[in-house]
Amino acid sequence: MEDVIETLTRGNPTEVKVLLASVALALAVYQLVLISVGYGKVRPGFLAAAPAASAHRAVGDTIVVVLVVVAFMCVGYFGLEDDATLHIVAAIALLSVLALKIVVIRWWHRMGRFLPALGISVWLLLALTWLTSAGDFLANG
Amino acid sequence: MAERSHTRQMIGSLLVGLAIVAVAVAIVTAKFGSTSAAEREAEEERLEQREERLEERQELREERLEDGN
Repeated sequence: MEDVIETLTRGNPTEVKVLLASVALALAVYQLVLISVGYGKVRPGFLAAAPAASAHRAVGDTIVVVLVVVAFMCVGYFGLEDDATLHIVAAIALLSVLALKIVVIRWWHRMGRFLPALGISVWLLLALTWLTSAGDFLANG
Repeated sequence: MAERSHTRQMIGSLLVGLAIVAVAVAIVTAKFGSTSAAEREAEEERLEQREERLEERQELREERLEDGN
């Protein structure tokens, strides 16, 4: 697994991981804007609620793919290191809440009223996961 | 008509998302600087070539000195 990741990233697994995680975080910030329009909290003249919600769903699907790739890279290359406990806990919580959110969106519609809380939780956990790894790498090298 | 407007607005929103990705990639890669393996290898190669040129010049100089003697 390590060799595959090393080859795919051309010897830059950390850099690629940091880049993908940062892209996911940037898109997650955009997601907040889109869903604010989707729920009608913000009403710009150029974007209606329905297309904003559709775009939110499409961007969300993209973020999920990026996060799964990052998670595979993280576990496959770096493993579960002792000095990254907070990062590991935040990442596991992030993927769990994200999976629950997907289940609620696709099948468990009765729990739809919890979607805003789940979305905010995903955002906060993503920010914490990024801060304890990519953010730290970018700040301190 | 409403359908067309919906599609247009959604495509616009996705294009904004793409622009955000491009900006994020540009900022993060700029932050990496020369830490990427490819750039490091290129830099090492340049250094090796420079050292080889210096060695060649040194050898030529020594040969000329020996010929002069």
